[in-house]
Amino acid sequence: MWGQVEQSLHESMSRVMNKIATLLPGILAFIVAFLFFLLVGWLLSVLVRGILNALKFDERMSRGGNAISEWTPRITPTLLVARIVFWFCVIAGVVVGASAFEAGTSELIVSGWILAYVPRVIGAAILLLAGNVLARFASRSVLITAVNLNLSYARLLSMGVRWMILVLTGAMVLDHLALGGEIVELGFGILFGGIVLALALAVGLGSRDLVSRSLEREAARPVEVPQPEKVHHF
Amino acid sequence: MAGIELPEETKQQEERSGAPDVVVGVAGAVAAADLRARAEQVVADLGANAASLRIVFARPGGDDEPTAGGENQGGEQNGTGGHEKGHPTLVSYTAQASGGDLWSPISANQRAVLALAASLNARVCIVLGPDLAGLQAHVIQLFTYAILERQCGLAMPIYPVGKYDGLLNTGILSPLSRALYGKRVRYPLTFDFAASGAMCERLAHGDAVSEASGLLWPVTVAATQTPQAVVGQVHIDVRHQVATAGLELSAVLGQLGGSMFEDMVSCASQWQRVRGSQAAPVWGNEQVQEADAAPIDAQPMLDSFLLGSKNLDEVWRLLLPPNTMLELRRLTRLTPEQFRIPDDVWASIVYDFALAWRLRTISRVHLMGALTPLYLGWAASYVREVSSMTSAATEQRVEQFTRAWEEKKPYLLSRWRWPDRFNP
Repeated sequence: MWGQVEQSLHESMSRVMNKIATLLPGILAFIVAFLFFLLVGWLLSVLVRGILNALKFDERMSRGGNAISEWTPRITPTLLVARIVFWFCVIAGVVVGASAFEAGTSELIVSGWILAYVPRVIGAAILLLAGNVLARFASRSVLITAVNLNLSYARLLSMGVRWMILVLTGAMVLDHLALGGEIVELGFGILFGGIVLALALAVGLGSRDLVSRSLEREAARPVEVPQPEKVHHF
Repeated sequence: MAGIELPEETKQQEERSGAPDVVVGVAGAVAAADLRARAEQVVADLGANAASLRIVFARPGGDDEPTAGGENQGGEQNGTGGHEKGHPTLVSYTAQASGGDLWSPISANQRAVLALAASLNARVCIVLGPDLAGLQAHVIQLFTYAILERQCGLAMPIYPVGKYDGLLNTGILSPLSRALYGKRVRYPLTFDFAASGAMCERLAHGDAVSEASGLLWPVTVAATQTPQAVVGQVHIDVRHQVATAGLELSAVLGQLGGSMFEDMVSCASQWQRVRGSQAAPVWGNEQVQEADAAPIDAQPMLDSFLLGSKNLDEVWRLLLPPNTMLELRRLTRLTPEQFRIPDDVWASIVYDFALAWRLRTISRVHLMGALTPLYLGWAASYVREVSSMTSAATEQRVEQFTRAWEEKKPYLLSRWRWPDRFNP
């Protein structure tokens, strides 16, 4: 009895070791391919940065509106291009590594799945990045503008804008990754519709008297002659 | 860059007549008939002084209308003798179209006038605002005197403004310009100024530095490109009406302050070498301002500051060091009567914002928007402080305030050179 158990365990162990031994060349091929592309990406990004600096790319870009630095002030156009080149090489490394892994192990499923899913992941990452940048920029714009307009609820307004954009971005990312299926669409629809309905009810019912009083006051108010300002800033 | 397109006929006439002594250019749209009438009046008022000078008046072309004198595009054939000394000659210039901001078109036209004067080899160029408020005999006389008699390279005006006027200039532009470039000029950005023939070329064409910000800062150009040139000031009795309706303070602050910050970035190597400041000689009679009897309500400006400090804390923290943030928090706890922003704190705040402009810590539009409530806080503090002062005492207070900026300049230098060491 004990001998049979021992034999069975030995066979299992040998199967596991065989499997690992079969996978090792593939893993090694993946690591080598990935490291190679990482190195190529780093070299290319350094090269691109050097060339763009020599061409005064940032200076040229800043002459025409400089939209990039307005949205993400700490990232210069040169840095952005260098980073794009680097990450493109990293992604290429993952894809080539997966193919090398497949060649090393004769497993067809992994690389096929990765190759099919990588564009979705890239798209989702871009969406997430753009959504975050947009949310940060828009919320700060709203906050500063609202403060300069003397709106006491400036922070609330800014937070609202930020979360609206982040929720929208989250839903788009999940949809792009094909995660959650219809639940995401349904959930997002309910959430967004709920917010709009709540706002409509708040204004329509809660502020009905306030709005009517305000309108009456506006209608009854005599035309005011603007007083000349005594303080002149410019 | 402004372009000058003089018709061939005018060029030939100018060659025959020789270089004009004075070019008086209007930096903005003005009707030819109005300019002609005012120019003749000025020449008549100048009397014997005008007889020895050949004066050319310039206005932007493109909207010429038929006039009694028969002005044509680019030249003048008036009925009083045209190019004889003592009589006005009218020419037009073409300025490059510029943005619809408050000051950009004015700067573009000012550059065009200066380029015209340089191309005509004029000895003096007087640039005036488009409202023609400065087109007066005493203004022409004083500017001409400062340039021709006192050998100034640049003559800036001192306007007879009230103590609550031009707060943006008093609070930021003038002290910053003085601390950076070492010229004690009361108004560094004006509608009216005069330049010598040599200075015209520099002001008109400058280089990438002077044109980076879009606006023309004559004192900056003079201080950085010709440090040996004398910059003088003249008291002129001129009151310009600035159309401020529909303009947002943050937008104007962004344009004027942003332009100055951009010049700071471009001219960093020059202003870092400047220590202290030189007095700019002043001519003309100072116009005494009657004290404003009615008190000013600074509470709305203070409320804007308090609202900003409640909401913009997270943005200010990115730009200002901890000790300044502590000081701002302390200020918010004061009663309105006690509220005073110390001069050195205000100077360091503006310096920190200038550094953030250079480092692009946040978007530049956001940066200038975040400065607006702080500026209003300073304005409230200043207005309360000078409300009970006479005009002379106010001037002394402004001088003391401006000196504080100079004393704080080492802080700016440290932060500018080693921003990481002082990072908030």
